[in-house]
Amino acid sequence: MKSPKRPVLALSVTATLALGVASWAVSDPTGTDAIKARQETMEGIGDAMGGLAAIAKGEAPFDAAVVSKNAGTIAGHLEQAAALFPAGSDTGDVETWAKADIWSDRDMFEETLDAAQKAATAMQSVTEEAAFRPALGKLGQQCKACHEMFRRPKD
Amino acid sequence: MSRARHRRVGATLAVVATAGVFAFLVLTRPNPIDAAAVPSHEPDRSNGEALYHAGSCFTCHAPPRETRGEKSLPSGGKPFPTPVGTFFPQNLTPDPETGIGRWSALDFVNAMWRGISPRGRHYFPAFPYTSYRFMRVEDVLDLRAYLMSLEPVRSPPREADVLFVGLTRRGVGLWKRLALDDRTDAPDPSRGAAWNRGRYLVRGVGHCGECHTPRNWLMVLDEPRALAGAPHPRGEGQVPSLRGLVARERYKDAPDLVLAFQYGETFGYDKLSSGGMGDIQESLALLPEAELSAIAEYLISLP
Repeated sequence: MKSPKRPVLALSVTATLALGVASWAVSDPTGTDAIKARQETMEGIGDAMGGLAAIAKGEAPFDAAVVSKNAGTIAGHLEQAAALFPAGSDTGDVETWAKADIWSDRDMFEETLDAAQKAATAMQSVTEEAAFRPALGKLGQQCKACHEMFRRPKD
Repeated sequence: MSRARHRRVGATLAVVATAGVFAFLVLTRPNPIDAAAVPSHEPDRSNGEALYHAGSCFTCHAPPRETRGEKSLPSGGKPFPTPVGTFFPQNLTPDPETGIGRWSALDFVNAMWRGISPRGRHYFPAFPYTSYRFMRVEDVLDLRAYLMSLEPVRSPPREADVLFVGLTRRGVGLWKRLALDDRTDAPDPSRGAAWNRGRYLVRGVGHCGECHTPRNWLMVLDEPRALAGAPHPRGEGQVPSLRGLVARERYKDAPDLVLAFQYGETFGYDKLSSGGMGDIQESLALLPEAELSAIAEYLISLP
């Protein structure tokens, strides 16, 4: 007889594990993991942006497929970004340049990220070279707006 | 103590106090330039406009965000917070009552070179005359001509929010004795014209050192460590060093830095948009490319 308890058991094991992981993450006294994760994400965005910048600078030819792929990478990263700044992750064992305003002005922070994500998403459907520069300009403006408001200057 | 002795001590104290006040007033006296130092000059307004952008004047002399119209006119008043207090920069439009409309050429040069207002009061060095004094007088006059050509906007001045503001303002005269010597910047003949042009723009109107150069305990720029980076004036992080930009892999070369000035984040240059540099980059982007190349050549050359 197939025990109806099995799925329940599996579910409870999973739930316990998930809870454990979650509480471990929450009880982490420093934001080290979150800081590392978001810095990796930012690097991923930077690399994708580099590919787009190469086209803008004329170092690489315009290729709608490359544009769409890189813009998609950026949009995907930005979609995850807000979650990488959980409460309490303003300090950690690695240096962070995140400003306290991220947590004190959360609505503004998420709005700005959202605007950046929209700009990246819009960029995904650029097929004409003429539309590329303006779309990249809009995305760049959003990157800049968020950095100016929420990132401390660093050497 | 006898009454006579009391009187002697009192008299001595009064003399010392009077001498102290007198010494303070003498030592803090504004030291304006001679009217003869301002030549008659046919101003070049387009040069003035380029200098206006090179100095990112609008960045600090902007109106408060809530009163900002469509035009970007430097009517002043946007709070400028510093560790010393909050300042409300001057209206630079030619409004006769509240702006610079009635300022003479001499008034304007005195403000830029000596940090003295037309009424003969010291400006706090949040207005970076310690850098502007390196500007050639013709350039100062061209900048004035450009500002005078702007649409006048009424925007009354607002006193700085600083402890004992009257006394502190007068005390700036003491600070100027340390920070404002008569040193001038002669071009370096061993370098090319572009390098020298770049240095002139960086040290003078660009006033890069005001944030990128560390200050000593008296808040005077520490020249031997010029442009070596410093704590951010608003206490949020570190203003980066402008030395060794290539060795430290910040930029590939001078043309790379020019692109960063011109396009910033649009071209993936993300280092120019923190701590207020984003606005400055937008202003620099309006400069002719030759001027940006000169600035970049000078900066990239710094070891």
